[in-house]
Amino acid sequence: MFNLSIPLMQQGVVMKGVSRTPGSSRTGKRRSYGRLRLVTLLLAFSLIIAAPILNFRYHIDFIQGWYQSVSIGNLWFVSPLEGLETILTSKGIYGPLLVGMLLPVVLASLLGRVFCSWICPISLLSELLERVIRLVRRRRYRAAGNPLPRQILWFVLVGELLLAMILGAPIFVFLSPPGLVGREIMLLVMFGTLALEGIVVILVLIMHLVSKRFFCRYLCPLGALLALLGQRRQLKVEVDHEECVQCGRCKLACPMGLDPARQEGGSAYCWNCGDCLDSCQVDALHFSWGQK
Amino acid sequence: MAVDRKRRRFFKAVALLGLSGRLWSVGHEAEARPLFPSPVRTNRLRPPGAVPEELFPLRCVRCGRCVEVCPYGSIRPLDIRNGVFAGTPVIDVTKVPCWLCMKCVEVCPTGSLQKVSQQDVRMGMAIIDKHSCFTWKEEGLLCHTCYNVCPFKETAIKLQAMKPVVVEDKCTGCGLCVHACPVTRDDGEKAINVQPVYSFDAAGSGHEGR
Repeated sequence: MFNLSIPLMQQGVVMKGVSRTPGSSRTGKRRSYGRLRLVTLLLAFSLIIAAPILNFRYHIDFIQGWYQSVSIGNLWFVSPLEGLETILTSKGIYGPLLVGMLLPVVLASLLGRVFCSWICPISLLSELLERVIRLVRRRRYRAAGNPLPRQILWFVLVGELLLAMILGAPIFVFLSPPGLVGREIMLLVMFGTLALEGIVVILVLIMHLVSKRFFCRYLCPLGALLALLGQRRQLKVEVDHEECVQCGRCKLACPMGLDPARQEGGSAYCWNCGDCLDSCQVDALHFSWGQK
Repeated sequence: MAVDRKRRRFFKAVALLGLSGRLWSVGHEAEARPLFPSPVRTNRLRPPGAVPEELFPLRCVRCGRCVEVCPYGSIRPLDIRNGVFAGTPVIDVTKVPCWLCMKCVEVCPTGSLQKVSQQDVRMGMAIIDKHSCFTWKEEGLLCHTCYNVCPFKETAIKLQAMKPVVVEDKCTGCGLCVHACPVTRDDGEKAINVQPVYSFDAAGSGHEGR
């Protein structure tokens, strides 16, 4: 416990230093993936806010939907898990659905679970919540390492698909937290109401407070599917053992409870958020492309 | 003692429930009862081009794009009180009917709403309640509201002896007539109502949207 608290306090000091001088970084050449990711998350979130407003108020249907199915012009995306579920439960294949699933699948198999860390609205809400807590408590929010074995994720995916097929009803499609965020925003913009199932989003955020990204780590079947697709991905976090001083900061920074210093950045569970790269003081971590 | 009585009452209630279930099912032996009964009913319909109701909740990914694209706000997603149907789109024609702009059909990524032309839409069928319709019930009153608002006037609804009559195989079930009907019955329905006859296999056959 004591061992952990010292780097934790140091980290807090460093983070404050960075936030006091936005834009300029400590060593000059270093870039912040955290900030870049926050911008991407905000852009992705503004898309699902803009979609209902543009559609409903101005009848511009150029962008539509949220992260269950999004269309930008004639470019259509369908979330792979939702698509897979409807294929399994309706026992039929609809061409345009497969085409919509294609790009997300390719993205996940090249880059891994980047949807989760760079796009998903739940990620944004969790990060904002963290930032609020940091402001209130005046120190960086952390919640314990790995309360459960990570392999639970795979069982959740298999269990969810089996349950959907047994019940004959796709489950994730109406209870997916990223989807619910979009649906609630749309209901609010278009009809001025909220749906009851939005509680799921709040539950997910409460879980996040109890244990960091608990839902994403253990319970999200979509994340599991994307992780499975990205098991042999090209983009990986790699550690330079020559540089690494085993300070353990990356392990503390990792929202998934991985230890990048022990090459866990290459595991299926890593979602390439880059938080460990930001936390490394000696630049021992980097993104690498391709198999080694 | 109190606990025991409570328990006995509980068992009695369970037994009664079970019995009532059995009694109720006697008349319905022939039709298979689905695990999750559909929320589609009179005046609460699926958007145009919808596949049959037993397939619809399985196919729909609840992405809400049909809801978003609907320029009239006719389509609304159901919420979790409808169980597994949460997030699926319905049109409550008594609130906002459908003007058959066919935009929702264009955007559906799953084929739950299939491409149909306006006149081939079969969201349901309008049925006139002759016991509450002014024109049918009383002599001398000539309300032709349903006839006047119908987008397929003289095709889907006609006047016979100055009384409106729905042409069953031409009615699209858009619900404009329901929305416009001035008569509201005690049970909240109108004097003309759209029944989702094509959504269920037992009643609706020959609908091409499969």
